[in-house]
Amino acid sequence: MLSVPSVVIFGIDVVTFSVDLLIIYAIYLVVSLTLNLEAGYSGIPNFGKAMFVAGGAAVAGSVSGRLSAFIVGISYSGDYSNSAPAIINRLNAALSLNPLLSVEILLLGVALAAGIGAALGYLASYPAIRLREDYLGMLLLASAQFFQIFLRSYPPVIGGVQGIEIPDFFGWANTGPGARDVVILGVVTLFAVSVYVYFERIARSPLGRTLRAIRDNEVASRALGKDDVAIRKRVIIVASAISGMAGALLTFYVESVGPDTWSRQDWTFPFWVIIILGGAANNSGVAVGAFTYAFILKTTDRAKFLLQGILPSTTFNYLQYLTFASLLVLVLALRPEGIFPEKPSLTLKRQTVATIIETKANAPEQKSDSSMKENS
Amino acid sequence: MAIGLTLTYLTTKVPNFAYGSFVTIGIYTALSFYSLYGISPYGALPVAFLVGCLSSVGMYLGILRTLARRGSSLVALMIATLAIDIAFVGIFGIYSDYLYRAYHIIYATNFPQLPGDFSLLGVPGIAFVAPCSLALITLGLWTLLTKTKFGVAMRASIENPSLARVLGINVEAVYVFAWMLAGGFAAMSGAYYSLWLPGGIDVGSKLIVEIFASSVLGGLASIYGAALGGVIIGASEILITTAGVDVFGSSVGIYQKGIPLVFMIITLLVLPQGLISLKVGMAIRFIRTLRSFRLFKYLHLRGS
Repeated sequence: MLSVPSVVIFGIDVVTFSVDLLIIYAIYLVVSLTLNLEAGYSGIPNFGKAMFVAGGAAVAGSVSGRLSAFIVGISYSGDYSNSAPAIINRLNAALSLNPLLSVEILLLGVALAAGIGAALGYLASYPAIRLREDYLGMLLLASAQFFQIFLRSYPPVIGGVQGIEIPDFFGWANTGPGARDVVILGVVTLFAVSVYVYFERIARSPLGRTLRAIRDNEVASRALGKDDVAIRKRVIIVASAISGMAGALLTFYVESVGPDTWSRQDWTFPFWVIIILGGAANNSGVAVGAFTYAFILKTTDRAKFLLQGILPSTTFNYLQYLTFASLLVLVLALRPEGIFPEKPSLTLKRQTVATIIETKANAPEQKSDSSMKENS
Repeated sequence: MAIGLTLTYLTTKVPNFAYGSFVTIGIYTALSFYSLYGISPYGALPVAFLVGCLSSVGMYLGILRTLARRGSSLVALMIATLAIDIAFVGIFGIYSDYLYRAYHIIYATNFPQLPGDFSLLGVPGIAFVAPCSLALITLGLWTLLTKTKFGVAMRASIENPSLARVLGINVEAVYVFAWMLAGGFAAMSGAYYSLWLPGGIDVGSKLIVEIFASSVLGGLASIYGAALGGVIIGASEILITTAGVDVFGSSVGIYQKGIPLVFMIITLLVLPQGLISLKVGMAIRFIRTLRSFRLFKYLHLRGS
């Protein structure tokens, strides 16, 4: 039996609050890391991030519910999205008794989300490698807008306007109050940490330096034999696949998915705030930026409930938009490189660098020679 | 609408993601006038134009120029316009909440089309007024740009800012003027929009697909192209959807918004300079053919 203690301060359950905050933080972190790989390291201005996250969330939501109903053997008449409210409790009961099946469907959903993310990324990469930054930005923004309209107006995917409920695949973990969320926190933390390590390794590898070279001087990198078209294409596909997985995990956490979530305001703009705030092309900066964003978002969400009598909650949402927008413009104006600026990539250990400097100091006649070697 | 976007793109070379929100400014001006004073959106038109002008100039001077002077990159400026768009949605939201609390206008965040239109021959007046104003604006801009000294100065500062500066043209003033016109036109079209279609706080942001598509199709570097693109996109959206519904049934109607997107993608991949380049390109090719023909004749004569 796992049960989470509750510590209440100022009428807020601190433990539940921080678990929720950390889950959202992990998901935001993953998506901002992918945007950082695209925009920060490779210079691809992805203004359509919402589309890739939404793609993953939609496919995970639409497939997992139907599939589990089919396997558990609950029949429903008509379309799944219409009958979901009626059968969702029976589905949840059946799934919570069958952890293995839950986990299998969960993994399948995440894998499908990665697939659809990669497919959307492949589609997006076609114009991305041919167009200039400004045209590409417009095209991706417009595509994301259309994708949202498509989700809203095509009911078979996620039930059109009202969205779709999906069963709880973490029901087996719900052995005590709050235990489910702790398990989910574990899963998303594992996911976020592995994505972080993977991206950090990319950034420090020769590939990371190639990406920066292509970003800073496309012609020169091409002259050095780097295939910039192929590399950009791969970057978009990998980043989009991971964004899709993050979308799927979010869907499984909140147990529903609807079209109105995936607006530009909520799923493209925040990640730009995060990477501008934290520092583009710097993964640790992005981690700090994502935490700042998630923390401000969640605490103001809390404050919204506390202040409900004084300010209507919708006004509060709009104030949030206004706050983040002004924060972004201020950072752009006052500290465009972010809290943590991009660092030159260190390829040698610090000790090795120190030894080289020492030898250089000891042999001044070879100074120019050795410094040339370092540069190359 | 697209005319204004093209104007701002021409002057600052930044695609303005906040452009749709200027349309919303017009919609909300019309709404306030209608619901507070009972004035029809036509009456709100001048005020909408003014408010649009002011906010557009404010955005340009206050944010974009400041950022550009601090050496922001193109992508940074694009992000800034995105942020301004989000801020605008926030401002309209707060404003409509205020309308609700202060005046009990319950439908302020999402409202149906506004009444107050006159009708002519059984057709709503807007069906005549909107195309006429488009023609008037295009004609007016054409006159301004080709017949007046200021217009020539404007074109010079768009084509070659440094040379224009050398000639003593106040390039900054020209840019501010262009932004002012852009904001004003957008807000005006917003007031028209409110007569025809339901409005809401993020209507402008959602229109961005059509606006970008019109500008890109016409050619981002041409004002006349934008007018042409706007007409083509608007017409094709309606016509193709109607035809599609006739052929495939009503289920294709939902893809209406996809048509501008498809147009935009095709234009960007096939004809990145837009429709307007087609005409110029053909003219150049035609002249070249003529020239080579003459040259050939000349050589031929010499040879014989």
